[in-house]
Amino acid sequence: MVQEAGTPPLETASVPAAGAMDRVDNVLERLWHLLTSMRVAMIIMLLIAVMGVIGSLVIQMPTGVGDDPQARIDWLNGIRPRFSLFAAQTDIMNSLQLFEVFNSFVFRILIALLTVSLIACSLHRIPGLIRTATKPRVDVGAPFFQHAPQHETIVARQTAADAQALVTGVLKRRGYRTLSAEDETIHVYGDRWRWMQFSGLIGHLSLVVIMAGAIIGGVAGYRDQDFSIAEGATRVVGTNEGLSVKLTDFTVTYDQITDSPSDYASSVILMKNGTEIDRHVVRVNDPLRYGDLTFYQASYGSAAQMTIKDAGGKLLTSEGVPFSWQLNDGKRSLGILSVPGTNYTLWVIGTGGNADTRVRPGQVEVQAFNNSGASSNTPIDDKVLDQGKAATVAGMAITFDRESQYTRLTVARDPGVMLVWLGSLLLFVGFALRFMLPHKRVWGRITTRSSGAIVSMATLAQKDAAISTDFEDLVNDIRTALQAPVQA
Amino acid sequence: MEKMSGYAFVAAMLSTGLATIAYLAYAISGLRAARMQTAGMPMNTGTLGFVSGRYTPAIGRYATMLGWLATLALLAGLIFRAIATKHGPFANMYEFSLAFAFGVLVTYMVFERRYHQRILALVALPVAAAMMAYASTIPSTIEPLVPALQNNLLLTVHVAVAIVAYGSFAIAFAASLLYLLQGRWALVAGGMLVLGILGAPTGLLLSGGNITGLLGGLLGGGLLGGLLGYAAHWAGLGKSFEGEASGRWGLPKPQVLDEIGYRAVVVGYPFLTLTIILGAVWADTAWGTYWSWDPKETASLVTWLIYGTYLHARVVRGWRGDRAAWLLVLGFVATLFTYFGNLFFGGLHSYSGLG
Ligand code: HEM
Repeated sequence: MVQEAGTPPLETASVPAAGAMDRVDNVLERLWHLLTSMRVAMIIMLLIAVMGVIGSLVIQMPTGVGDDPQARIDWLNGIRPRFSLFAAQTDIMNSLQLFEVFNSFVFRILIALLTVSLIACSLHRIPGLIRTATKPRVDVGAPFFQHAPQHETIVARQTAADAQALVTGVLKRRGYRTLSAEDETIHVYGDRWRWMQFSGLIGHLSLVVIMAGAIIGGVAGYRDQDFSIAEGATRVVGTNEGLSVKLTDFTVTYDQITDSPSDYASSVILMKNGTEIDRHVVRVNDPLRYGDLTFYQASYGSAAQMTIKDAGGKLLTSEGVPFSWQLNDGKRSLGILSVPGTNYTLWVIGTGGNADTRVRPGQVEVQAFNNSGASSNTPIDDKVLDQGKAATVAGMAITFDRESQYTRLTVARDPGVMLVWLGSLLLFVGFALRFMLPHKRVWGRITTRSSGAIVSMATLAQKDAAISTDFEDLVNDIRTALQAPVQA
Repeated sequence: MEKMSGYAFVAAMLSTGLATIAYLAYAISGLRAARMQTAGMPMNTGTLGFVSGRYTPAIGRYATMLGWLATLALLAGLIFRAIATKHGPFANMYEFSLAFAFGVLVTYMVFERRYHQRILALVALPVAAAMMAYASTIPSTIEPLVPALQNNLLLTVHVAVAIVAYGSFAIAFAASLLYLLQGRWALVAGGMLVLGILGAPTGLLLSGGNITGLLGGLLGGGLLGGLLGYAAHWAGLGKSFEGEASGRWGLPKPQVLDEIGYRAVVVGYPFLTLTIILGAVWADTAWGTYWSWDPKETASLVTWLIYGTYLHARVVRGWRGDRAAWLLVLGFVATLFTYFGNLFFGGLHSYSGLG
């Protein structure tokens, strides 16, 4: 009997107690059945969907936070008030990895299972697909023509051989390939789009390709989502390739009527070991590309333009410090600068607005930290600076020149992305072809009777309750052909 | 142009409303005929199991005409608006809701042409009407595109492809509801449908026009209706109608509905796949990452997985029929969440001008 693709695997018969090897075999066999079972695949898919629902309903940690223990604690403390049904709620949710569903252990296991199952399924199906494409069974036995989902019998006046010619003629006209075999009866087989069976296979395997691409991107890729540069400043790219980026200008264009931003443009100069290699205006949808490294426009904000001289009046640096952080009070913004040629790190704190009595608008507060000092957590000096007036902080002459802007870029390198696109293409093309050009097969059986022949036709395709099926159309054509007046 | 598109939308809403009434009249006329047939009068039974009375076909033709009228008016409205805004219908929820409604209408009309099952309109047209009604409650002002949306062609295709997928899934949903309505879950599904449909506008009213209220009312009402229906079923009010040859209450045969649901998913699934892929391409050019587990992306993936499961369910014994139909209902709920996602979750997609 011809087995329909996708029918559930037969139950493994329980094997009587035997040697250890047999038991191993038995276990492996059961495992194989599980992995190639469509039921199991469906359950895995639905479980992943459930994880997806959880992940979109529960707030998720931003990328990178999970890897940094301190950032994780800060982040959890930040959301704690929202999850305070009972005291330990946040911590329990954290230990269940509910805030990082898509990095969680359970999610990874499910994805791994799905991948293995996809591969197993495909391997499992390949031999059968090749067989049906290259060596289809032409003689399927008489009972098939009574039990197939769709079957028809036509009584013909022609001889069996003539009827056969007419049947294959109709099949060929409808684009079928035909094969015949003959013993006391004539067996006819016709199929269409036999290679299209493989498009479903390609559709499934493309998912493995996409996941491979995602894994390669995750393991070998580089990503810095917080590459902030103030106007006039230069920042080293963290890939250790001697690359740095200087922001010459940042412009936000606002729509005149609605006042909403209509364009962000970061004019940057890309330098390698100090020499310029490229200039570009980075915009949303128009990143700067250098080799396989890409700089995308992410966001922007305000910055403090600072000039810092040492005690002898020598210029240490003059650059914009992006206010890319926020103090815990949630109001004052913070920029961090490590002063070149010294051991000092400066915290530049902006005003919290008109209500701020400590740092007024037009002022910044500067806290100096000594990186190598024993107590690098407490500032060694702390002053509030007026705009344009130099002040001495930790022995340096520091001026807050003016407020400026910074841009935040995302720097990314993803060696897996081509695989992802390739997989996506195969995924779409694979399944679309599978649905548009479905593999079709029909069988015919022609027996001689006293005054002519009996033609039986059958297919495995299900009857369609809503419209007439291809099989019905085909049989109609064959009937018409057989009933046409025989030429004299 | 903006004015003209406004008029066209009003025309589309009116004709959708009228079409819905006409389809309802058609269904009632058919139902009456079915009653009379059971009472012993001779009636025309179509090959597909739909019984018709004397005026039924004429009412049906008028309904179809009104349906096409609504579709064309909405199309005209979308075109005028695209000319006025110089971009596809993706800049805000207003535009996208109308595009969604258009997707549902046009897929319904195409399926009606092919399968002649006008009863599906009773679910599909209210979905389209609800989308248009929702659109009419939100601001329709034309605003300049925020930078991330200035990638015109990619986004237009992304949205065009998405509405075909959503429209097909709405048809599959309609078919599965009518399927379940006839099975032993009839009372559950009926309760869900009735209370859900009643709950949605109630929620909308109570929340002062908030979409969360609408969905809350829909889900809450549906849940309550389902529970009541189940209680009724448990109390022995309903019996199993499975395996019967013709449809009940003048509805199409369950097998026909099962088949239509499948056809609709076969159309929608590749389109949803393409929507997700194009979304990833866009995210990659705009933000430098093709996938960021943004809630809207995640919801679309969940939807995709549910319909993928459905396609398998169709060939696995024990999952065909009832369970497959439930997957279609679930899939459509997920579709709605994908669509309204940014209103709930925020995230990268919260550009819509409402988030
Ligand atoms: C996310 C994962 C998956 C997706 C999106 C998916 C999608 C699909 C789609 C769209 C079809 C219908 C097209 C066709 O008939 O070829 C299909 C069929 C099929 N899938 Fe999957 N699939 C997935 C995983 C799996 C797995 C893990 C298995 C292995 C158990 C599997 C086994 C099958 C089989 C055997 C068919 C053919 C059914 C038939 O006879 O028509 N699939 N799948």
